[in-house]
This record gives sequence, C-alpha cells and structure tokens, in this order.
Amino acid sequence: MAEFNVRSDSINVEQIMEQIRARIREKRGVDYTDAEIQQLAAARLEKFIDPDKLRSNLLSEFHRVRAEGDTPVALDAVVDESVLFETHRPWLRALRTLLRPILKLFLNTKALAALSAHAKADLARKSRDQMTFEVIHNMVVEMTRLGIEVKNLTMRVESMQSRLEFNERRARALESVVVYKPGDANPVPPPARPQVHDTRPPEEFRPRQDSQPAAAPAQTAAGAPAPSGADGAGQRRKRRRRRGRRGGTGQPWAQNQPGQTGQFNQPAESAVPGDAMPPQDMHVDEGPDDGPDDSNGGDGTEHDPQ
Amino acid sequence: MKLAVVVQRYGQDVHGGTELHARYIAEHLAQHAEVEVLTTCANDDTTWANHYKSGSETVNGVHVRRFRVSRSRRAAASARLADRVLHHTHSLADELKWIEAEGPASRSLLRHLRSHGGSYDFCLFFDYRYYHSFHGAHAVPSRAILVPRAERHETIGARVFRDVFRGARAILYNSPEERSLIQAIAGNPQVPGVVVGAGAEVPQNPQPGRFRQKHNIRGPFALYVGTIDERHGCGDLFTLFDGYSRQPSARLSLLLAGEGRLPIPTHPKIAHVGVLDDAERFDAIAAADAVVIPSRYESLSRTALEAWALGKPVLANAKSDVLKGQCLRSNGGLCYQTPAEFAAMLQALEQNRWLSASLGKTGRQYFRDHYDWRVVERKYHDVLVQLQKSEPRTAMEPIPRWSDCRRCDVAPASDVLRSTS
Repeated sequence: MAEFNVRSDSINVEQIMEQIRARIREKRGVDYTDAEIQQLAAARLEKFIDPDKLRSNLLSEFHRVRAEGDTPVALDAVVDESVLFETHRPWLRALRTLLRPILKLFLNTKALAALSAHAKADLARKSRDQMTFEVIHNMVVEMTRLGIEVKNLTMRVESMQSRLEFNERRARALESVVVYKPGDANPVPPPARPQVHDTRPPEEFRPRQDSQPAAAPAQTAAGAPAPSGADGAGQRRKRRRRRGRRGGTGQPWAQNQPGQTGQFNQPAESAVPGDAMPPQDMHVDEGPDDGPDDSNGGDGTEHDPQ
Repeated sequence: MKLAVVVQRYGQDVHGGTELHARYIAEHLAQHAEVEVLTTCANDDTTWANHYKSGSETVNGVHVRRFRVSRSRRAAASARLADRVLHHTHSLADELKWIEAEGPASRSLLRHLRSHGGSYDFCLFFDYRYYHSFHGAHAVPSRAILVPRAERHETIGARVFRDVFRGARAILYNSPEERSLIQAIAGNPQVPGVVVGAGAEVPQNPQPGRFRQKHNIRGPFALYVGTIDERHGCGDLFTLFDGYSRQPSARLSLLLAGEGRLPIPTHPKIAHVGVLDDAERFDAIAAADAVVIPSRYESLSRTALEAWALGKPVLANAKSDVLKGQCLRSNGGLCYQTPAEFAAMLQALEQNRWLSASLGKTGRQYFRDHYDWRVVERKYHDVLVQLQKSEPRTAMEPIPRWSDCRRCDVAPASDVLRSTS
C-alpha cells in the first residue's frame, strides 16, 4: 500500500478516503456493472428507437426482412397497380377486371399503388431500423466493456513491464556483484589494464566499413595491445575477438573494473559464488540502467569524463 | 429534581442498545437527581413475555418500578401491519394498531404515568417507536423529553410519530444527523432539541493479551461487536470480508463478538467468540487492529465510541449518514461504499500503522471532548435546568378520534422518508 501524504496528527479522514478512492480508480479503472453498461448504452439510443423490442434471432430476422423487402421481384410486385385488384376469389377477380376501366376513371390507381408501396417500404425500414438499433446497442455495450478491459489490460501490462525492468536491473546489479568460476574457490582476479582513453564516437555513429582500420588500440585478454594488421583477414580476426569479448562469450565471468560507474565496486576476495542466492531483503539499486556499454568496447575500460 | 426514565426493558442482563443507553443515563443522572426507572417486566424483546416480577426494586443504586405487559407481541400481526404502514397508503388506525402490536403494551404503566406523572419534573422516554413512548408522551406531554434514537429507517415516516416529535417538551438527539432527519420529517424546529448522545464506561487498563490468550487468537484481526443479523449489515460484512481475504496481502482476520440469528459462514479467517461481558468487550477492542461497523441503521454507534475511547480506528458503512458524520467529525474512522473500498481501507488500516494510530488518537480526543460522561452529564443538567426555568412552548396533538382514524389517506412511510432524502 502506498503512503499517504498526510502525516500530521490532525489528519483529514475525507482526504484520506478520497486518496484511497483515487487509487482504486487508478488501479482498476472506472468500474461499471453490467446494469450500468446497459444503462449507458440505452441512455443514448432509446431516444430514437424503443429498446423493448430487442430480439435474439437477429441474423434470421435480417435475412427475412431482406428476402421480403429488398428483393427486386417483391418490389416490382408492390409497385404494380394490378395488386389493387387482386383477390383469391375468381369471380370477384373477373368482376374487378371487367370494371377496371371504370374504376380507373374514378381513382388514380397508380398513386394508390405507390402509397401502398411506400407503406410497405416504411414497414421494412422500421424493421431494419430496429435491427440496426439492436446491432448498435450490442456494439456500444461491447465497446464499453472492451474499453474497460483494454484499460485494465494496459495497466496490467505497464505493471508487468515495470516489474520486468526492475528485475532486469536487479539481475544486472547482482551479476556485477557476483563472480563465480566453476571448480575454482578463488575467483579470477581482474586483469590489470591500463586506463585507455577512448576518443572514438559511440559505435552506432561509427562508419560501418570493414576496410577501415581500428582507430583505438585493441586490447587482448592479457591486457597487451594487439598488433594492428593491414590485411582484411587480420582485421576480421581482430573484430571477431572484440565481438567475442563484447558479447561475453570469450570471458563469461568477467570481473568489473573498480570504479566502473553505476555498479558495485567489490574486491574479488569478497565475491560469492554465482549460485548463491542473495538475501531477499537485499537492497538493489533501482537507478538508471547501467548495463554493459558497447561504446567502450565492453572491455571494462572507462570513458573519459571529459 | 425528580426524573423518570421510561424504557421498554431494564436490567443488568439486558444488552440492547436502547436499554443500555437508558441504564447508563439513569445511573449517571442518579448521582445528581432523584431518578426512578419505569419499565416493564419483559426481558425478551421478541415476545415481551413477563419475566421479572412487577413492583419496585433497586438495580445498581437506581430505583426501578416494573409494570406487567398486558399483551405479548403479535409477530404476525406486527409484520402485516408494518408492511401496510411502511409500503401502502393506509389509515391512522393502521398505525395505532401497528404500535400496539409492536408493544410492549403495558396499560398499568400508562395508568401510573397518568396518575403519578405530575410527581416527576420530567419523564425521559427512550426510543420513539415503542408503545410506552408514544402513549406515555401523550399521557404527560408537558413533561415528556424524548430520546428518540432514530435512524434513517422507514419507520420514522409513520404519521403518528410526527405529532410526538412536534409535541414533546424537548428532544435529546444522539447526533446532528438524527436531528436533521427528525426535523425534516416532523418540521419541529420550535421544539427544544440538543445533541447529547451517551458516554461509555471505559476501563483504564484493558487487557488485550488476556483476551488473546483466553480465545487463543494470534495475528491481527478486525472486530465486529453487536447483534449478528442482516439488519446490522452482517450478511454484507461476510461478503465484503471474503472479498478482502482473497487478496494476497490480506492478513487480518474477522472476529465476531455477539449473538444473532444469522448463520456465520465457515471461513478460515472468520471466528466467533460469542457474547462478551463489558470487561471482555473492552479487552477485545483493545486487542483489535480495527473495529468494523457494517450497519446502515444507526442513531449513535456505541461500538464506535468505545473503539475511539480505546484509541482504535473504525471502519464504518458510509450508507449510514450517522456513522459517516461521526467518522468525519471525529477524524477517527474511514467509511466504505463499495467492496473495493472496504478492502482497500481495511488494508490501509492494517498496513499503515501511522494512519491507524492517528485515527485512534483523534478518535480518542473526539470521545473525550464530546462523549465523556462528565460532558454528557453536564449537557443533561443544562438542558433540564433550562427546561425547568421555561414554560412549555409546544402542545401535543391528541391521539386522533375514531372517526378521523378511519380515512385511508396516509402516505406510505417509506415515501415520506424518501421525500426527505
């Protein structure tokens, strides 16, 4: 539990409760119950369409309305004025057909047919609107739910990320402390190296040309300067050796040099074996990431502060 | 000054909140005035069956006069009438029948008040909802001082109580919230009213170790003291605590002290120690890390006062405006509204020692300033002296006549309460 920023004797309960509530909101986001989500969704849409007519067989209804209202045959049938005279009784149909010219004298049957078509189209549209409303309603509900879930997941990811970073820093800090050599009780003392002032720019800014000779004198594992060769094969070998040292494959348990910034400065005699776990309550520096810096070749040499 | 304390039950073995309140007030006022307790022979508030012998006796130095209960409590009729009064449009006759069914109906107590009421300077009626308070206040209106102990419950919306609140000589409230509620419902700002409350008898040296040893309790715990039932919020408390205990960092257990009808769930972190006497109760509070009060209906939480008196923080239900007001005024407790808040606040009280200690400290100071017995006695004394000097300013409306009672036009009590919030 995080600390409160009220630390006097005259505490303010209201302020403390507000801080606790704010922390809950930060931690969990705004909590909505299902009922509240439904209310949120309904509040915006019920003004337009009655939400009481929600159906569960939405897809089949869509298919049905489409089959009834949108098919060209059905539309033609609706617009055709002959539907005004249709009946299932043959004798009445015959009579209407006989009197049709007279009826057309008194009535605008085309207008009637158009009205009928409009009415049917309106019905179909209302039905579609209802289903569209259902779809939008469901989408709003799901979007709200997903939004909350995404927020929660984002916060969880952030939390895990910070934990991961902390663990990485802790691991690096511990690695810098611990020196372990299998089968050797006394860890290898760090090789004495002359301090080299590396005036090169960082590696990422250097030109990537294989034929260019190394500007700084390369260091061997024993600390002697490597002879610089002019041929490409010699250069490649040197680069390989350097890469090996940088990647830690050549000397996996390299001891940090005393005075290296951001890491524990511990003499070799006090080093503990690598498989010995540090105490749980051990203080680990949570400062900025001070991992191996490739820009100095990873060979333990220091940067010139100037 | 001669005072009568009128209460439904009285005795050292009676542990109800109102009864304890009345007993403590009677015992403390007896040091300054002549006090006589008028009560019934009942011991059980579910039946009001006559348990004690009628007549006079002395309890802890206070003269007690007991009267027989005329009719036992009719639970079924009471429930039916309560539903009608609280939730449906009804008549005044329904409300009067409901009060009679609730009891404890003691005709002899009323006869005594009518015949000997003039011999007392004032009669203190405890708890407005019972038969003795309603009819007793009508019997001696000019001497009736009401200690209503009202909470935000639908009962208070009943029409017949409005006349009592308007016609009493004075009202002694337990909290400012209670006063606001009653004044909003009854519209009685003309009635003299003072927020007095009640003190608590706190031992100087409680023994938390003794309590832990006796009940074999190890580790930190939150304590609930009181009746274990739904009305006091215990069902919700079990659910809330279960949610809290699922957190990996939860260390507190929940200890229940008291008895009730609600079954206690089988939970590894919930324990029940039964009913505790006064000394043990204080030992338990002193041993607890926090005291939990989940009730929604409170007029004054004695448990909260006792916890503060012992320097312990309180975690209370924010749905009770009285508890919330007490916590905010005292700065001695936190109030939760949701399960997440319950868990977070309990965790905060457990893990932040400075917070817990500061809340306890400010709570203790609040208790000393407002609820120490000397302060309460002084308030009672001032009110009574002032009332003695002044003439009654209000008149009690008589109980409605038979014909007026029959009209079915009284709004449901729940609607009345809702209209004030």
